[in-house]
Amino acid sequence: MNHPSSKQYRLLAIALSSRGLGYAVLEGKKFLVEYGSTSVKGDKNRLCQVKIEKLIALYQPDALVLQDTTAKGSHRAPRIKMLNQQVIEAARKQRLSVTLFSGKQLRSFILGNAQGTKQEMAEMLVKHFPDELASRLPRRRRSWESADSRMDIFDAVGLAVTFRMTEAGSATVDSQC
Amino acid sequence: MSSSPLPNYLRTNRKRLSLTQEEVAFLLGFRGMSRGAKVCRDEKFAREPNLRTALTYEAIYQKPIRELFAGLYECIEREVAGRAKLLTFRKDRGNNQQAAHRRQVLTDLAARQPKQSLNPAQS
Repeated sequence: MNHPSSKQYRLLAIALSSRGLGYAVLEGKKFLVEYGSTSVKGDKNRLCQVKIEKLIALYQPDALVLQDTTAKGSHRAPRIKMLNQQVIEAARKQRLSVTLFSGKQLRSFILGNAQGTKQEMAEMLVKHFPDELASRLPRRRRSWESADSRMDIFDAVGLAVTFRMTEAGSATVDSQC
Repeated sequence: MSSSPLPNYLRTNRKRLSLTQEEVAFLLGFRGMSRGAKVCRDEKFAREPNLRTALTYEAIYQKPIRELFAGLYECIEREVAGRAKLLTFRKDRGNNQQAAHRRQVLTDLAARQPKQSLNPAQS
């Protein structure tokens, strides 16, 4: 799978979560075309796949960025791991370049600190995209509360920004195979 | 998969202004119960709005039409360049100044490539 020579190309980042998924479409380095999150109920994997296929059809991305659920230290649910693999395979069939980043890589690239929190990462991303994301930033989560569904958006934007920062990506699916 | 701009960036601009589809539909002067659905179809590239609607989008989002409909504009520009090329061959006669000027205009149009700056990602 080849990367287009132009740095202008469009990429779709997907962050899978227990509720559904967060997504972000980035063009160039600083143009956030679209972002959002979707909650699904019932057959979550199938519904998420349908949503992802719709996003790919609508935005015609040149690259897909996903979380690396097989990375060392990753504690993702088996369902999400399976869905991630299904998405990778579906993308491969469409000859779409796929790049994976672990949570640790994300925090290292965006915060410069692998020990940083999701909230810190979200706050940093708001500085990158104030017009788009400032109104979406949830308040700091209390220890007894579950994560806000809007955090999925920040996870996806974080994946897209990390891809841009590394440009070619550090852990491509192709290189792993 | 292509690297060309999307047909339009209406949804991006609407979200930037934190407006809902219903609100934009109201600003566009749409009437009826499902007026937001028309905006939805525009944003999902399911239909091309007419000139009046396109100009209203420009007024709402404060961005030129060619930027809002970057992909569509690029496509049209390419088509015009193709037609201008044809016209250059057809009108390649006449030696007076007017004919020379016309030839120059058509050659320039035929050689025109979609401007990169039209892609909102670069502006």
